[in-house]
Amino acid sequence: MDQLARMGEWVVSAEPGAVLTCIGLGSCIGLALVDRRAAVAGLAHVMLPSSPRSGDAPQPGKYADLAVPALLAAVLEHGAARHRLEAVLVGGAQMFRLGAGSGADIGARNEAAVRAELQRERVAVAAAATGGDKGRTVKVHVAGDVLSREAAGDTMRLLGADLELVA
Amino acid sequence: MSTPSYSELQLDGLRELANIGSGTAAAALSQLLGHPVDISVPMAAAMPLDEAIAVAGAPDEQRYGILVPIVGDLEAAVVLLIGEDDARSLTGVFGLTPEDEHGRSALGEIGNILGTSYINVLAQMCGMEMEPEPPQVVSDMLGAILASVLLARGDVDIALVLDSALQVEGRPCSLSFLLLPAPGGVDDLLGRIGLA
Repeated sequence: MDQLARMGEWVVSAEPGAVLTCIGLGSCIGLALVDRRAAVAGLAHVMLPSSPRSGDAPQPGKYADLAVPALLAAVLEHGAARHRLEAVLVGGAQMFRLGAGSGADIGARNEAAVRAELQRERVAVAAAATGGDKGRTVKVHVAGDVLSREAAGDTMRLLGADLELVA
Repeated sequence: MSTPSYSELQLDGLRELANIGSGTAAAALSQLLGHPVDISVPMAAAMPLDEAIAVAGAPDEQRYGILVPIVGDLEAAVVLLIGEDDARSLTGVFGLTPEDEHGRSALGEIGNILGTSYINVLAQMCGMEMEPEPPQVVSDMLGAILASVLLARGDVDIALVLDSALQVEGRPCSLSFLLLPAPGGVDDLLGRIGLA
């Protein structure tokens, strides 16, 4: 059964056959961290680039700067090896022109923030389906298949369970 | 960042504003379509984002979304959500389909008329300057539409949703009409109606 990563949350699984899902990503980023050999995967539904500077953030999964390290810690805890981890990014679309004057739109800023955190953690980005103006849904099979589907569009395979593909 | 919460009395006040606003909007829509339009008693609720989205439907449901950004004293967004069949029925009034460019702009125009008449009444009642920007029409997943609108201005924990359903008589068609004020704007709005 699919495990849903709701907005601002993350899910992790090492159970064979488990599927992790983010539904209806607009400007949000679905960040998958996958260790295909160990068959461990995690998926976070990141909403905003950075956490507020003052006060404590009640929901670390909301913000890229907190969600990336938290998701990383969670997949390592489930048996993933840091050097085998691959990141896949889905979402970050700009569906509307809103919030003018703030420079780049929120979708692009979310993607940039997630990528910066991954670089800091030295996790490589294996694939991405980001930007554009369409919403997306992402499904992560713990064995390693990562599938993205655009609104009213086709399904795209971003990462395969087949390890030979990357050998 | 603060987490706003509103009393029942305040929500009642907001519901009443939504009632008057959507009544005026329904009258404008009825004039445009040449059919009577019924409105439901609006819902006013402050809730976490994913609950706010769930009110409108499942996050992966396909919807036509028409966004009318509101600027001025109140920062807000008016969002119309229309299902596939309802969009077909609505644009059919003008002999168009939602897929073609003219159908799209007809949907934008419906959003414009509804949003503008709603906002004008609110502005009058509250003595605030509010200006609608040109409508933007998308066809996408419900969750993606609403999350993108709600998060475009930055951090939001709780969204205030004023939701009215409009039903067009004689055509099997209904649309959901949401006013989503930016968090600071709600306090201003409440202040103007003496409920701050």
